[in-house]
Amino acid sequence: MESFKKKDMKAGVLAISICAMFICIAFSGCTQQQQPGNPEIKNPTIYTRYDIGEPRTLDPAESYDSASSDMINNIYETLVTYKGNDSKTIYPSLATDWVAPTGNSSTWTFHLRHGVQFSNGDAFTAEDVKYSFDRVLIMNSPDSGVSWILSQCMDTNSTKVIDDYTVEINLTKPYGGFLVLLAFTVASVVDKKVVEANGGVVANTDNEWMKEHAVGTGPYTLDHWTHNSEIVLKKNDLYWGGWTGKHVDTVVVKTADEASTRILALQTGDADVAYIPLENLVDVENSTGVSVLKDPSYNVVLGLFNLRSDNKFMANPDVRKALCYAFNYQSAIDNAYNGYLYRLPGCIPKGMPYYDTQNNGVAVFNYNIVKAGELLNASGYTQTYQFKSNYYRFNNTAIRIWYNTGNAERQKMALSFQEELTKLGINSIVSTESWPQYLNRMYNTKEWDFMFLGWMPDYNDPDDYIAPFVGSKAINQDTFNTGYANATVDAMLFKGKYNVDPQIRSDAYTTAFNIYINDPSLIFIGQNVYVRGFRTWLQNYSYNPVIEYYYYNVYKAYP
Amino acid sequence: MKIWEYIVRRLLLLIPVLIGVTIITFTVSHVIPADPARAFAGGPKAQPETIARIRAELHLDKPLWEQYFYYLNDLIHLNLGKSFLENRPVTTALAQYFPATFELTIFAMIIAVPFGIIGGIISAIRQNKLSDHITRIIAIVGYSLPIFWLALMLQYVFAYQFPIFPLEGRLSAGMTSPTTFTGFYVLDSILSGNGATLLSSLHHLLLPAFTLGFATLAIILRMMRSSMLEVMGSDYIRTARAKGLSERTVIYKHALRNAMIPTITVTGLAFGGLLSGAVLTETIFNWPGMGRFAAHAVLGLDFNAVMGFTLVVAIIYVLANLIVDILYAVVDPRVKLGGG
Repeated sequence: MESFKKKDMKAGVLAISICAMFICIAFSGCTQQQQPGNPEIKNPTIYTRYDIGEPRTLDPAESYDSASSDMINNIYETLVTYKGNDSKTIYPSLATDWVAPTGNSSTWTFHLRHGVQFSNGDAFTAEDVKYSFDRVLIMNSPDSGVSWILSQCMDTNSTKVIDDYTVEINLTKPYGGFLVLLAFTVASVVDKKVVEANGGVVANTDNEWMKEHAVGTGPYTLDHWTHNSEIVLKKNDLYWGGWTGKHVDTVVVKTADEASTRILALQTGDADVAYIPLENLVDVENSTGVSVLKDPSYNVVLGLFNLRSDNKFMANPDVRKALCYAFNYQSAIDNAYNGYLYRLPGCIPKGMPYYDTQNNGVAVFNYNIVKAGELLNASGYTQTYQFKSNYYRFNNTAIRIWYNTGNAERQKMALSFQEELTKLGINSIVSTESWPQYLNRMYNTKEWDFMFLGWMPDYNDPDDYIAPFVGSKAINQDTFNTGYANATVDAMLFKGKYNVDPQIRSDAYTTAFNIYINDPSLIFIGQNVYVRGFRTWLQNYSYNPVIEYYYYNVYKAYP
Repeated sequence: MKIWEYIVRRLLLLIPVLIGVTIITFTVSHVIPADPARAFAGGPKAQPETIARIRAELHLDKPLWEQYFYYLNDLIHLNLGKSFLENRPVTTALAQYFPATFELTIFAMIIAVPFGIIGGIISAIRQNKLSDHITRIIAIVGYSLPIFWLALMLQYVFAYQFPIFPLEGRLSAGMTSPTTFTGFYVLDSILSGNGATLLSSLHHLLLPAFTLGFATLAIILRMMRSSMLEVMGSDYIRTARAKGLSERTVIYKHALRNAMIPTITVTGLAFGGLLSGAVLTETIFNWPGMGRFAAHAVLGLDFNAVMGFTLVVAIIYVLANLIVDILYAVVDPRVKLGGG
């Protein structure tokens, strides 16, 4: 019996030792030092990005999300485009030059590039341009509704083929942002023969074939798309730009939900670029061969006031102004966004034309809790409601602050805002729900007072920001359902939109700003910095706030 | 009752099970106050016409009971509707994701079942010896380790520190998938004679399959050990030994068959569970399977996708139970199917 016990104990000790050994082996790697010098370049001709979200479609006439646009921008081409990280200059693409309208005319003339072929060998002509624009308008994508971007100034009579390499576009009304519209993916040129052979154009119906197939004139062509996994592009041998010089042959964009997988992919070199959550940037910043791209984006962060709230005090402009002063912007920048956010003075983000019409780019509201209190007192909303030993405003009615589940930055801002409101003697409740529930609350109920939201650009014109943000329901705007309406602001938005004279546009946007900032329906919290981890072997890697990525100029080598 | 009669009867029982599943899933997913039409149409950027069209397509403007009958009508016509998150039919999405998950599950079971059974037998016949201690520790580790932690550790050790396995995915970067016959990359690679994708897909399968199978291995091992110990102590085993039969014959011919019955039950249920519950493994290893699809659908309130997934899972469970019952009869001739 004793010998059994002894034997048993021995066996137990041995088993535990084996387990301990395995654990030691596993963790020995944790302290392994990185090799000095430049790591060997992995897959030198393949560019791989690990990101979240995947395209909804590859059809330019349907695409209205950034993941789809990312692919379409590299497979198809537009008449004009942007280059590198320059979002201010419009460059020729399929059009080599163009003539803008003069006087009262609304006619643009575009001269097209000769010798361009689609990736299947079909020749590109002016017929394809007309077909592509008319297709967007006739198809009127029911899945995305993106055709509004062209239909606001074009109809099917607008585009005329003058000859094989000249098109004329007669706008239905003058439009200040027309040229930048043409750089958006919805204006990409498709191969008429290919579309006609695969379903053609049916009014108000999406083309199922075009969702998953793509034949364009761009530098890359679709190799395969495995949903929820990866989309792979291979170089288009017929690309008019040619393949001399340094380029990557293959582009792989992977959908990886798990942040740790993306981080490891970047550290192992499997990923050349990866989306890293802000709180995890410290994990990759010190890794050998990894750097972090920090470029300005046009993505903005907003707080929305509900002027239609069943809490009537929300309709009072002074209350909303006080809340603008009570918001701790620096805390949002430092704590919620780890410094990757900068102040936004009004609707128009920095980098976009007419940004300076907003108090020369200087934010009107800064964190000032004393001023916020004074404004509320002057409006009659004093701390008169006693509950236990504290005094509250609004008869202790709580301001309902909402954010969508899973958005860590908004959660931090919501809690910080609640803390500031407490200092003002305002009761508040912070709540969260899933995105579809959040949208339901915003659009179909009055049961919210403050919500967080973001906005990304469709095209590089202030009209894409200012109209949806502060335009009223009367002009089919009020996109966030805040209930804000001001007839002068609406008039100024129209004036700015349908004029090509920069001075008239500038004056209109200045007038609008001076009105809406004094009756705020939004807190302009900030403008995001676009952050991605990337391998230092990646050259010519840049981010454009309008078209995001263009892979043709990227290559892998150490400088 | 003949075996085929039994199978038909069990398959017919699938109909009320599926109706029950659709009622529960439909009700739960539709009573949440939400605006999926606006979410699918692009959130704040959605155009009013797009929202109206999606509402009409999903019959969201109709009473709940009416919506359910629209759904049933589509189901009878084998139309599971459109996944709005994926912008394609649910059947197309499931046709892609099911083989990926099934392949992963099969390989997880290939790791879990033989090692679990053999480990359980060794553990039982060498009770309280070194090998028993080791297998018991493996079992404890197996079912106490959180699956996400195991996955992250395996990635960290075997894909980062000692890069002998790929980090994620089904194939190497830039590799085109083999010609599709079944959707199982290993099988398709063999059928199309594509050695490169065969090696790559096998290489990519190992870490996620081990992650997914490890907990099941532990459960099978424990179950096998305890049933073997119980059987080994029974009278007929003592009789067999008294008759002078060799230990090998006693264990493998007399004890094993009886001890297998509970293990088969556990294995069948585990198989169904792995097929439907590989969310974490699929997410961490970036495996384009049903688990990730379902997780996205639930978070995005993609009704059709959620219900399509639930139906598939219900069918899998019913079929897995049926196969388990048939295997009982194969393993133990005393078991009569259908109680006859």
